[in-house]
Amino acid sequence: MSEQIEFLWRQLPNLLWGFPNNRPGGLLLSILLSASAIAVGLGLAVGLAFGRHSRLRLVRVTAGRVVWTLRGIPLIVLLVLLFQFLGTGAFFGIEFSAFWSAFTTLTLYAAAYQADVLYAGIAAVPQQLRDDARLLGATPTAVARTVTLPYSLRTMRPALTTQAITIFKDSSVVVVLGVTDLTTNARIALGGNVANAPYWVSVYLLVGFLYWCVAFGIARIAERRIEHRPRPIASAYV
Amino acid sequence: MARRSGNWLDSAPVLADTVRFGVPEWLTSELAAEIGRGIIVTIVVTLVTTASSFVVGLTAAIGRRSRRDWARRISATFIEIFRNVPALILLIFWAFAVPNLLPADLRRTVFFRNGFWDLLGDITTLPLPYYACAAVVALTCNTGAHLAEVLRSGLDAVPPDRVAAARSLGATTRVAYFTVTIPDGVRIAFPGVINRLIHNLKNTALVGFVAVPDAFQEIQGAITDTFQATELLIAAAILYLALATLLEFGLRRIEVALWRGRSLDRTVDV
Repeated sequence: MSEQIEFLWRQLPNLLWGFPNNRPGGLLLSILLSASAIAVGLGLAVGLAFGRHSRLRLVRVTAGRVVWTLRGIPLIVLLVLLFQFLGTGAFFGIEFSAFWSAFTTLTLYAAAYQADVLYAGIAAVPQQLRDDARLLGATPTAVARTVTLPYSLRTMRPALTTQAITIFKDSSVVVVLGVTDLTTNARIALGGNVANAPYWVSVYLLVGFLYWCVAFGIARIAERRIEHRPRPIASAYV
Repeated sequence: MARRSGNWLDSAPVLADTVRFGVPEWLTSELAAEIGRGIIVTIVVTLVTTASSFVVGLTAAIGRRSRRDWARRISATFIEIFRNVPALILLIFWAFAVPNLLPADLRRTVFFRNGFWDLLGDITTLPLPYYACAAVVALTCNTGAHLAEVLRSGLDAVPPDRVAAARSLGATTRVAYFTVTIPDGVRIAFPGVINRLIHNLKNTALVGFVAVPDAFQEIQGAITDTFQATELLIAAAILYLALATLLEFGLRRIEVALWRGRSLDRTVDV
């Protein structure tokens, strides 16, 4: 028991923020990687979601196909496939490192899922609201920017939070490229050493607990914020 | 396309060349057979986990809404644990970590070499069936917990007047629950269930991590053999897209069948 605790204590910094020669890593890198992928992905998702509502058939179909393709391929396949292209410099002649390739893939993956949520969110904006804004003299672009987008982001906030948590958990798959996130560091900490066999259960319990803390924590904070906040747009609309 | 003597294509050389050109040289029949076996493993794992996680999810959803305190607490714990831990961690935990609880010789007899696992190995033709079982358990926990939340919201959304109608026709609370609330709740929740089950199909691509020879694992093996990474990876992507489309099609058919002749607008099904 005591050697279990000692082993975990020794590995805890490696799991939390990476091995000394490779920081940031571990849980910190998992959070940074998924948070930035979610943020950049949200930007792309806005484009894709509006694209799917576009009046131009070509734009609509293309955006729909992109989302469908990215959503239909498992993240692990997507990671390996894009690394095959990006890592060898097949695109733009730049050789992406495993980390940047993983970041790009995760961003696209996040964008597709968030675009799906936002697509529904945009569809849920009352036509009346948009018509009113148009009557007040706003251009269609201004309506999209000041009415449709904020409204859909607000109504879809719970769904987007759930999606963000999912992407955070799915980011564990980057282990396939050897990006030193939490999962990879757990594997490195245990290594191929047979002497470490007794520690597998405790290390993975700890890793699972760390993922759980972040995922459950975000869910709880989001829940509380939504409970305490009245729906602002609805009141503005009345 | 295997070259066979007496093939009718041989009499049409131009056509035969076109067809042979379509199948690259590195794609030998052994390689194709291995990938085919992998696809079957993926399909079987998907179907098994689909069924098991639906059962687990429904049980947990019912438990979550139970009047009994202990049932609610157990279900909530199950859901919150397995929903918030990545599927990959669950896979590694059940497959690689759990056997390490036992000392080496005991581990071999309990998890890998005994009558039960040998029999299972013979049936499934997998070299190490424990890993496949662990993978199924891990995916079931993960998908089951997610489905539980989806199904719970479905059960919550059943219009109360339908239950009241069943009660007024003489059904006991229990009968009304099993004949009205659960079937209607599943129907209402089904779009969400479909979404999650497709996600589960994609999650099965992770089982290669724990030495289950699924389609993606076999394709990665084929890449190390042939170095045709780009072609094989694109094939993998297309394969999963096709499987996801197929699964979605099947599940939509089930959804339509579930609703046939029924509507939530009516209080009693005619």
